[in-house]
This record gives sequence, C-alpha cells and structure tokens, in this order.
Amino acid sequence: MTSTTTQSGLARARRGLAPGGPGGGGSPSTTNRKSRLSAQTTRTFFWLLIPSVVLLVLIHGYPLVYAGVQATHDGNLIQTGNFVGADNFATVLSSPAFWKAAQFTLWFTIVGVFGSWLVGLGLALLLRTKIPAGGTFKVLLLLPWVVPIVVSSTAWNWLVATPDSLIPSLFRNLGLGTPLFLADPTLAALMVMVFKVWVSFPFMMMMISAALASVDTTVYEAASMDGATRFQQFSQITLPLIARSTYISWILMTIFCVNDFPTIYLLTGGGPVDATTSLVVLAYRTVFQDFATGPGVAIAFLMTLTLVVVSVLLYRQIRKSSVE
Amino acid sequence: MSAKPSIASSAFSRRGFLGFAAAAASAPLLAACGGGSATQGGGGGAGGTVKFWDMPWATPAYNDAAKKIVEGFSGANSSKASYQLIQWNNFYQTFSSAVASKTGPAVSTGGGFQAFQFEQQGQIAYADKVVDELKKNGQFDDFLPGVLEPFKTDKGYVAVPWQLDIRPLWYRKSLFEKAGVDVPKDWATLLEAGKAMKNIGAVGFATGSGAGNNIGNHLMIMMMLNNGGGVFTTDGQLDVMNDRNVEAVEFLLELVSNGVIDPAAVSYTTDNLNAQWKDKKAAYGMLTLGVPERVGDTSGDIVVASPIAGPHGDKAALIFPNNIMMYTNTPSQEASEAFLVYYLGQIKELWRQKLMNALPVFKSITELPEFKQDPNNVKIVKEYQPIGKTFAAQGNTLSADLAVLDGGQALNQLTQTILTGKTDAKSALQAFESGLRSTIKK
Repeated sequence: MTSTTTQSGLARARRGLAPGGPGGGGSPSTTNRKSRLSAQTTRTFFWLLIPSVVLLVLIHGYPLVYAGVQATHDGNLIQTGNFVGADNFATVLSSPAFWKAAQFTLWFTIVGVFGSWLVGLGLALLLRTKIPAGGTFKVLLLLPWVVPIVVSSTAWNWLVATPDSLIPSLFRNLGLGTPLFLADPTLAALMVMVFKVWVSFPFMMMMISAALASVDTTVYEAASMDGATRFQQFSQITLPLIARSTYISWILMTIFCVNDFPTIYLLTGGGPVDATTSLVVLAYRTVFQDFATGPGVAIAFLMTLTLVVVSVLLYRQIRKSSVE
Repeated sequence: MSAKPSIASSAFSRRGFLGFAAAAASAPLLAACGGGSATQGGGGGAGGTVKFWDMPWATPAYNDAAKKIVEGFSGANSSKASYQLIQWNNFYQTFSSAVASKTGPAVSTGGGFQAFQFEQQGQIAYADKVVDELKKNGQFDDFLPGVLEPFKTDKGYVAVPWQLDIRPLWYRKSLFEKAGVDVPKDWATLLEAGKAMKNIGAVGFATGSGAGNNIGNHLMIMMMLNNGGGVFTTDGQLDVMNDRNVEAVEFLLELVSNGVIDPAAVSYTTDNLNAQWKDKKAAYGMLTLGVPERVGDTSGDIVVASPIAGPHGDKAALIFPNNIMMYTNTPSQEASEAFLVYYLGQIKELWRQKLMNALPVFKSITELPEFKQDPNNVKIVKEYQPIGKTFAAQGNTLSADLAVLDGGQALNQLTQTILTGKTDAKSALQAFESGLRSTIKK
C-alpha cells in the first residue's frame, strides 16, 4: 500500500500535478464546483470560442480546402482547370524525382533532428556546469538560430563554395586535396545537413536546458551516494527526466526539417543535379518553375500527411513517457 | 527519490497538440498553394489611374527614373498612371495572385515570357492598336530588325518589346596576354585557349549554375544555338535530340573534362561568378551586359569578345526580348494603350542617363552619344544583336512554353549534369527532352 502510494505520488510529480489537484480525480467538492461552472458558462465559452474558430477556418481551413481543390485539378495559379481526381497524386508517386527527394528529405530530417539534438544536449549539459561567462557563452551559442537564414547561408557559401574559399583552402594546405563542398553531390548533401544542424542546435539546446533546469539536483546527489556512475546518472536519470521535452523537440524539429525551404534553397538551390532537392523544394519548383500547380500541391499534401502521422506517433511516445 | 517534471503537462492536451502539429505541418501546403502571398495594390486602376508594375531592371536609380516617367503621364479624360516596383523573388506568384484577385496591374514589365503565360489564361489585352499608333508616330520603323515580330500571334501582339537582354562573350585582356594566346574565334581555339588558361590558374570558360544563377542554363542553350541547333523546330515542335545539339553538348563535356570549365561551377551563385571575374580568375565567358560595372572593375581590362563560330561556321547569340504587356483588367483599355505608347516614347531617357544594363530596341537609342560612349555596347549592337536568337530557336515564335524551358527543372538538370561531367551527351539530352515533354503542354 505504501509502495503504491509512493509510485502514484512519483507519477503525479512527473506530470507536474499537485496532490489532489486536477487530473488526479479531485475531491467531490471540486468536481461539483466544476460541474456547476460548466453548466453556467458553457454558452459563454461557446461564444468566446467563435472568433478563434473563425480565424482558424480562415487561416488554415480555406487554404487547405483550396489546396485540395488544386491537387485534384489540372489548372494553374489563376484558373482551377478540370477535375482530374487522383491523377496528380499518381503522377507524383510514379515520378523518380519524388522518391529521390523523399529519400533526401528523410536523411535530412534524421540528421537534422538527431544531429541538432545531440549537439544541443551536449551543450546544454555543458552549460549546466559552472563555467566562467556562462551567460555570454549561452547567448553566443544562440546566434546561429537568431541570425537570418539568408545571412548565414551566404556566410556558409563564402566558406565553402569555391576552391579558393576558406575551408577548401584549409584542406588543401593540410594536403587533403581541394574538396568541392557544394559541387560534389555527396558533399553538398552532407554540407546542407551540417548547415541545418548548425542552424538548429540552439533551439534544441534551449529546450533541453529548460528541461534540465527543472530537474532537482538532489536526485543526482542521492544517486551518487548510491554509487551510480556518471553514465548511469545520465542514462537512468537525466534522459528519462527530459524525455518528454526531447520528444516534443523531436516533433517540432521533424516538422522544421521537412518543411525547411530556405536552408536548402539558399545554399544549393536543390543541386547539384537534385542531390539536395527535398520534397518542399521539389513542390516549390513544380508549382513555380514548371508551373504544374496540381502535382506540386499534391507533393505538399503528401508531406503534410506524413508529418501528421509522424507527429501522432511521437505524441504517443510522449504520453507513454508521462505514464511511466 | 523525487523528480520534477521536465515540462508542465497540464498545459499539453492531445487535441491541442494535434491542432498545433496540423497547423505546423500544413505550412508546405500553404506555401505551395500560394496561400501566403500578398497581392499588390488596390483595384485595377480605380479612378482612371493606370497601374504600371515594373521590375528592378537595374540599380535603384533606374526605378526612380522610371517612376518619374510614369508619373509624367497624362492621358485623355485626365487618366494618370501609378508606379509600383515588384521584386524578382516569386514575381510570377505575385503577378498570378494579383491577376487572379483582379488587383493586378493594367500594364507591366515582367518575365520574358510572362505575357504569353497570361495570354494563355485570357488575361492579356492585345497591343495591336499600340503597334498601329507606333506606326503613325514613327517608332515602329525605329525598332531594331526582328525584335517586334516574335510577339505577334494569330490573335494579335501579345506585348511590345522595350529592351533586349543579350548574352555576349566577355574576356579579360591581361589574362590572355599572360597566357600568350589569342581570344577564341571558334570552338577549337576556345578549347586551346581554355587549356592555356588552366595552366596559368585561370578559368577558360566561366559559368555557374548554383542557387539562383541561370547563366549556366543560358550557356547550354547558347552553345546549341551557336552550333545551328536549338530546342524547337521552326514550327515550334520540341527537337532536342538533333545532331547539332548533341555536338554542342559533347563539346561542353570536353571543356569540362579538360578543366576549361571550373569543376566547382555547378554550384556557383551569381556572386561566386562575379567574384571570379573581379578576382581575375575568369578569363573568358558568357554573361550579361555591363560586366565591368557589375563586378566593379574600372580598369578597362574586361571587354566584349567577338562572337565565336561553331564547327560548321554558325554564329548565334542568345537574346531575350523583354517586353511590356497590357492586361484585360484595366480602368480603360484606351488609357492603357495611351500609356504604353507614351512610355515607349520616353524610355530613351533611361539610356541617356546610363541607367540600363540592356540593349535598347530602338535604333535611335543605340545612336545616343551616351550609349555610344561605351565601346562594349557598340560592339554588342553591331556584332551580337544581328545574330541574336531567342529560346524559341530554331523557330522564332515566342510562347508560354518558353517560360517552362527558361526557369524549369529540366534545363537546370541538364546544365548541372553537364557541368559535373558525369554523363554523355545523348543521355543528358534524352533526360532533358523527357523532362521538357512532361512539363510543356502541347
């Protein structure tokens, strides 16, 4: 009985709930008051919700519906054209360019999410220790996230684009040849991913830092007294305690990576030879360069569908972690 | 052992999350369907004002001068004109959104084939009456040869040209002196000079096809034209696999394999390419007008080269007749026509003030002292304009399909494949043809 109570208390603590508070069943008096409030204010809530609902419909609903219309028609940006059913989707799904872009998007997302998470985690842990000028250091680390992407992509271009750029020159001086970072398809793909990690790690660092800030340090003291090694503390305490934050950051970063247009477009334009063409770049090119509105929007629809599925799966993980 | 939660869970509901995720995930849809674009201006010229939309064709001084010309218009029934600058980024989306919502311009400049794209959708007002008026006021006879005809369709003139964007060859004299070779006269001497340039660490045929840089794309077409080839037949049918095109691509691949074309060129942005010219790395190459001004070189070392001859003796230059178009959405068609006639009569001022990085379409402007002061301009008018061919070559009728060829993925894919050198001519052209066929509606 004591054990059950303790576990329940721990679980409640992990979910951030006060004993007896909402979500924990509540006392009869609380429930009654809630019911009374609901009965009295349902109509008011309804009216208060209307502006938000109208806004959501206008901002998200209309474009989604219109995109649906375009995806099933053969028109252009001005005229809707004829209804073609799922033809645009069939065209897209039978195109090798789509699958090549999907493959790159997958790798870009995997490296972007986990690369930025690992770097962010490492730096968040580092910043948790007392280092001189830690605040200044933290602000400097935020710069890649803060600087406009057009500025940072230009700076990266200067660093790597030509054989005489700084980094290829450095390689040459070290006797490692002159790598063409943006001209070689494999290196260009790698470069775009590294750039994405560089741009994104501050976001991860902040998310993880916020999660770590809420962890009671006495937990580590207790574990240390019990003989836990640093690695055990990290794997058995730190990671589980920041798990929910991690899953949320993964969801957000997945969405950021899949939807990321400027990082890729500004650095490589999707080249060379489509080596860095992601689905969002392909959708843009299809609509605005090939003027094939239907197939382009169909690509965007497929992306959206995939993102929703991935997000729901990750959300389930969040629920699991909160239950545990 | 107690632990605090990482994030307060009470504020995180399943529905809230799904709503958030759906909203974030729908971003590509919103982007792709153009939902986020802003339209420009108000109604289609309410109050008798002809809305004129112009692109940043040159420095901001150009736009100031063009605005001044536009605001000087005063037509019948007190009609006036307003000036609106439209940025090149996503310009077609901007125009499309505005035209679709009837908030677009009455008259505009724009992309080279934009008039044909909007004509297909019934949004263009034909310029036959403008041409008639130009015949009366003498400007019709002032057009350089062959610049107006490409705009004539079965239904009428889709637009009227006002400037020529041409792609001449440029070279840096000092590098040729250093390498001890002559400026190329044909493909064979281009290859030899290019090899000599490589030996002195220079680039023998500078180009680029990185993010936002279409010079490489234009080079591919120029070399086909220069060999008597082209992407279309004389009657406008797709004709990619002709022998002349294959020969041109084989030569380009030879330039790549010999290092005459920079191996990193495939990724060069416009800035990278300009830097090559500025840093005295580029010895020879195809670019736009005004290269010295563009790269900030005042030494007089960068000059226009004469057109080269292909192996069969052909010579050609790629030319884009940029034009002014009228739209059906106007407060008054008569006012639009009057404005267009007025504007064409005033554009001489833009060259007089040396604001343009393009050739004029009127002979009288080429004879302005201010224009003739630049020997490069004179040479381009004399040697390049007469051999100019459009993207429509081997035919000469412009169409909306050319917009797909110009900005589409197929040509960019061809360019990048060739510049990386990892292909053979026929495979590259077959892929190009296949890509074009899938996007061009015939």
